[in-house]
Amino acid sequence: MMSPFPLRLALWLIRVVAVLVPRTRRHAWRTEWEAELQYHAAYLRRRPRRSWWADMDLISRALGSLPDAAWIRRQFTLDAEVVHDVVYSTRALVKSPGFTAVTLLVFATGIGAAIAIVSIADTLFMRPLPMPHPERIMTIWQQNRASGAERLDVAPGNALDWLARTRSFQTLAIADPFTFNLNFAGREPDYLTAARVSEQFFSVLGAPVLHGRLFLPEEYRRRAGRVVILSHALWATRFGAESAIIGAQVRLDAGAPYTVVGVMPRGLELRLFDDRARRAEVQVWMPKPEFDEAEFKQRVYGAWNVLGRLRPGISVAETQAELDVISHQLAHEHPETNGRISAQVVPLRVHLAGGLRALLPFLLGAAAILLTVSCGNVAILLLARGSARAREFAVRQALGASRFRLVRQMVTESLMLAGAGGAIGLLVARWMLDLVGRLRPADIARVDRMTLDARSVALACGVTAVAAVLAGLMPSLQLSRPVSAAALREGRTGPRRAVGRALVVVEIAAALVLVAGAGLLVRSFMLLQRVDPGFNRDHVSVLQVFASSRIDTPEKRIAFFEQALVRLRALPGVVAAGAVTAMPFGEARVIARGLLEIPGHPAAPPEDAFAYTTAVSGDYFKAMDVPLIAGRLFDATDTAASRQVLVVSRRAARQFWKGADPIGSRVRFQFSGKSFDAEVVGVVGDLRHEALDAPAAAEVFLPYVQSGFRALTFVVRTAPDSPADLRILKEQIWALDPLQTIFSAASLERLVWQTLSQQRFNLVVLGGFALVTLLLAAAGVYGVISVSTSQRVREFGIRAALGATHGDIIRLVLAEGMTLAVAGIIAGISVAIPTARLLKTLLFGVTATDPLTFLTVSGGLAVVGAAACYVPARRALKIGPAEALR
Amino acid sequence: MKLTYPTTLVLHALGQGFRHGFEILDVTGLPSGTVYPILRRLEREALVSADWEDAAIAREEQRPPRRYYDVTPAGQLVLATALARYRVPRSIAARARRLRPAGAS
Repeated sequence: MMSPFPLRLALWLIRVVAVLVPRTRRHAWRTEWEAELQYHAAYLRRRPRRSWWADMDLISRALGSLPDAAWIRRQFTLDAEVVHDVVYSTRALVKSPGFTAVTLLVFATGIGAAIAIVSIADTLFMRPLPMPHPERIMTIWQQNRASGAERLDVAPGNALDWLARTRSFQTLAIADPFTFNLNFAGREPDYLTAARVSEQFFSVLGAPVLHGRLFLPEEYRRRAGRVVILSHALWATRFGAESAIIGAQVRLDAGAPYTVVGVMPRGLELRLFDDRARRAEVQVWMPKPEFDEAEFKQRVYGAWNVLGRLRPGISVAETQAELDVISHQLAHEHPETNGRISAQVVPLRVHLAGGLRALLPFLLGAAAILLTVSCGNVAILLLARGSARAREFAVRQALGASRFRLVRQMVTESLMLAGAGGAIGLLVARWMLDLVGRLRPADIARVDRMTLDARSVALACGVTAVAAVLAGLMPSLQLSRPVSAAALREGRTGPRRAVGRALVVVEIAAALVLVAGAGLLVRSFMLLQRVDPGFNRDHVSVLQVFASSRIDTPEKRIAFFEQALVRLRALPGVVAAGAVTAMPFGEARVIARGLLEIPGHPAAPPEDAFAYTTAVSGDYFKAMDVPLIAGRLFDATDTAASRQVLVVSRRAARQFWKGADPIGSRVRFQFSGKSFDAEVVGVVGDLRHEALDAPAAAEVFLPYVQSGFRALTFVVRTAPDSPADLRILKEQIWALDPLQTIFSAASLERLVWQTLSQQRFNLVVLGGFALVTLLLAAAGVYGVISVSTSQRVREFGIRAALGATHGDIIRLVLAEGMTLAVAGIIAGISVAIPTARLLKTLLFGVTATDPLTFLTVSGGLAVVGAAACYVPARRALKIGPAEALR
Repeated sequence: MKLTYPTTLVLHALGQGFRHGFEILDVTGLPSGTVYPILRRLEREALVSADWEDAAIAREEQRPPRRYYDVTPAGQLVLATALARYRVPRSIAARARRLRPAGAS
């Protein structure tokens, strides 16, 4: 069993500290400590609940090994100055537990956050992928230059032309992802994600199989037999990780069994499936038979993925340039379909990093700022404490201690603080990563597998050492200045305060930059949530169903779905039930787009001639609460045999009829391989399909009874207190066919919520760091003002004696603090305004220099600063003038 | 050797039959950075003796052998003197009863 993280950290600490113990006794010493720690950890594991307090306790016990080791060392090398420094520092730190605790907290937060962020970056961008030369693996996507849509799935015709014409790639292959139903009697129907891959696919990846073999060339022939390669995950979960599976016949669906020929290695991630799907990874690989004529011609529909391995020495830019040329040729050859389509080359690693890529620079920046502020704060704390210890330093200097000795002493102290802070920081980092993993934005692969490893620990050590020296050096140089007799008498004052103030200004400025960034994200998020998607998402359940292969004709499908709708509608509490082929925000994106031809209207330019073509059934519009704007909706008179009819969205009406009334007009289009010639009977409101920040596209609706499409999504609106939950809805479908898979079932609210996961993630992560930085900056203000107030006690006493009121003195203290705060805010704004522009891609509905956000944030910071001054000011008042002047 | 209050607590805990370092932490409530140097000093002064646990037990529990400590006769004497000087808080005695491990002497 792997030891839990705190124990590993504790054992690691022992190993480091053991260096101090003389070699002859080191082994015994380590054994004793390790035995106790492991025994204790085992005891904690047996307890019902693990708490963070127990983790901290384990670490603090392990930290106690340091004085122990130092004590032993002193027995052997009596006058070792290092040991003396350690012992002296320990004593000094133990003597002021409050200071030690606060400093540890500050260090742990800063170091922990920095390690967490760097671990995220490391996992996503630097850790090796399990393939040779992963930097040469590219994904190629379609891009629509007209709409600006990027990373679209590729139509087969285009993919095949790319395959035939490019020269940049050593190998180039396609994958055709699909899902198939798993129907076993007695088990809840489920589905598997699968992909058919062309012959070169596995040589693009270059990854060897874990067990068995890859597909043989003859297995890529048509009707070559049913062979599959399993993903590591499927093999481990469903087949018990048995290597005997190779050669075995497995039954994956209702059809004939498949022969397993291989198992892919662990950690192979390609994210071929849609971002929003619950399973982004392929579970079963199958050979793709030779391409057929229809595939070469298909340039509109299709959901292929194209992957290629670059020739050595070819850059991404060169490849992109070559594909641009090919896209141009294709645009000439097929102006109807390819006029605005170009190819987009995306390195695999970038594709895997998903939306977090845009966030990464900000995360790293935030980590740097947070660490700086932490160091600044520790320096302030050391300075503050130094002023209390000024007399001690002066005495030691007067007794002959060299300046170097004093500096070393203080740096040792801050190193010890930072060491302990770093150890706790590793724990903090673990918690933060767990939190990030729990937020898990759907389109960020690998994010739930972020670990702290030796590299993070090494990084922690480095960061800790640098932070300690930075934080310790400045105050120690200040404090160890040559002394005068006056300093011996009353401690020093003077330039030290200037250093502390400068640090506070920098901290406030840094905090403002982060808080302003977070503020902009908060505003964006609020605006985004207020966007009207065109439908009402409350109390709506959504069930996505792909008719199983037994329901194989359009007539059977129409009958099946119609019966299901009747059952659903009959449930108590159901207000309206309908169904649709392309569900807005649905988990599986089934989107059909077609070229509309309107007789009597001039043909639109190709990029404007497309509209979403969607078939609907039952009370779809009522269930979604989409308003009817003109004409009528579909009703019982629209049957398979009646004339073909069409309802268009408002946006489609505007795009195709340019203000004329579309009702009564005829439209020709293709849907699901059939030609339609329909009459427009109504106009409805627009529906957003992809995301709240993506505007609605033109959409036309036809009655499902006239199409018989394979997939349908049920949309059921219920009364607020209806007992019809998802379980009951699913049972209605299984009552008709117990083997029918339900691809996904969720509330509409939840589906919309899912698309915001990226924004939520940005908000929580950046917002969290901003909040921590703000608190640290406030602590900095508090520290500096406390010191300054305690040094000005005599001055306040004189003022009070001369008639200054309490208000006057509070004003004095506040004035000092607010001067710093205002200076920090001004400095921060002047940095934040140019920096915030970089956030532009993450914002929605606000400009990067949104005045409201900046005003609020500045005001907020001023209030926090004032609050931090208030406590020392009150304390100054408590000292009477007589006492102050004594 | 100087007989401080923490030293007395550690000796007392050992005298109560708590023989391992971490048990002494739990019983006395002292931090590990205090207890261990005290144990080392007591061992150096021969007031306590130390030995290793049976390797078979350690192997079975898949960890290194623990080190255990015992008060020597000389230590008993010192403890008696110390107890005359300091009063061991009742809370420790109570904690000791609660934590007493099965099989400890």
